[in-house]
Amino acid sequence: MTATLAAPRLAAVSAPNRQLVRLTLFVALAALPLMAAHVLDDRQFQGDNIWLKPLKFHLALAVYTGTLALFAMLLPEGTFTSRRWRIYLGVVSACILAEVAWIGSAAALGTASHFNQTGLWAPLYSLMGAAAVILTSLALVMGLAFWRHRTDALMLSVALGLILTFLLTVPIAGTMSSGTGHLIGTPVTGARFPLMGWSTEVGDLRLPHFLATHALHAVPLAGLTGSRAAVWVAAAGFTGLTLWCFARALMGLPPF
Amino acid sequence: MPPDQLFQLANPLALLGWVALLAAPLAPRAAQAVAAAAIPLLLSLAYAGLVLAFWWQAPGGFGSLAEVQTLFTHPQIALAGWLHYLAFDLFLGAWAVRTARAEGIPHWTVIPCLVLTFLFGPAGLLAFAILRFTFVRKVLP
Repeated sequence: MTATLAAPRLAAVSAPNRQLVRLTLFVALAALPLMAAHVLDDRQFQGDNIWLKPLKFHLALAVYTGTLALFAMLLPEGTFTSRRWRIYLGVVSACILAEVAWIGSAAALGTASHFNQTGLWAPLYSLMGAAAVILTSLALVMGLAFWRHRTDALMLSVALGLILTFLLTVPIAGTMSSGTGHLIGTPVTGARFPLMGWSTEVGDLRLPHFLATHALHAVPLAGLTGSRAAVWVAAAGFTGLTLWCFARALMGLPPF
Repeated sequence: MPPDQLFQLANPLALLGWVALLAAPLAPRAAQAVAAAAIPLLLSLAYAGLVLAFWWQAPGGFGSLAEVQTLFTHPQIALAGWLHYLAFDLFLGAWAVRTARAEGIPHWTVIPCLVLTFLFGPAGLLAFAILRFTFVRKVLP
């Protein structure tokens, strides 16, 4: 079923968007010196190697723009060629580069990027919050473009995934950033999820933030079934799961 | 990774690039791939990692000779400085070999310049500039 749906879709893909492809490659390759620093530097920050956080952000942002670049190929040829689009993609690119530069610089100096209220870092943190909203707005803007072209289940699922990424991420990340840290509750003894590092003993707002951001991956999986009903169920279910984890974290509880 | 260990890895790596340059007439493109791209970029990656990690913790600076001397008392920064020599000298050597080939200067005459560049960087650049001028009356790129 998937194959029969994918075949005409693949025949109609547009040329890759050069701005998004370039940005993805740059953010991914710029992680190489950070990997070298990770190997060479023993300094720790909150229990992790100091370079782990910038590496995670490079990976996450490259996955984000890489996914958007892939999705963009499903829209009609010429969708992104207007002057307005090019300027907007330039602004989003600048925000993404500013984020990784800020997080990388804070790591190099051995200080906090997010939640840092000392000296010049405090206004910078607010500014980077605004940049984060702008870079996330690309999901919404592209989601609305897909909404206008929701000719089949796949296009609908990409539209909903992208729009949900923006609608869920902004309030969850906004709540997290207006607090004093990503953890809510006590006691914190350091029990964490393997690899991802979320707390398994108190509320950790990074988990719902992660889910919210990945709506753009989760919902389109349902679109591969070819059923619009499945897409709507997946969108509602994923929203519910994300909000449930958000509520649990706000109550200071782990997800389960 | 301790700086000594990286130092022990970097030297033979650079040497490999110089061997490739000496043998360049046998496989010009492969020699350039190794000596102008792969090895200098690998060394640059290690350099960038060291500077990202240790520049902010190092004493001294660029403001005076005394400050520069103090800067290089920091082991990782001294190692970064050494990698800088290794990477740039090799890159320059590859450029000399490429330029000589393009302008018809015999490879065997470039070999002493390569040895000088390997040991005393800028002295090798000067030697190649003189060699090149005697052969093709050119100094500019």
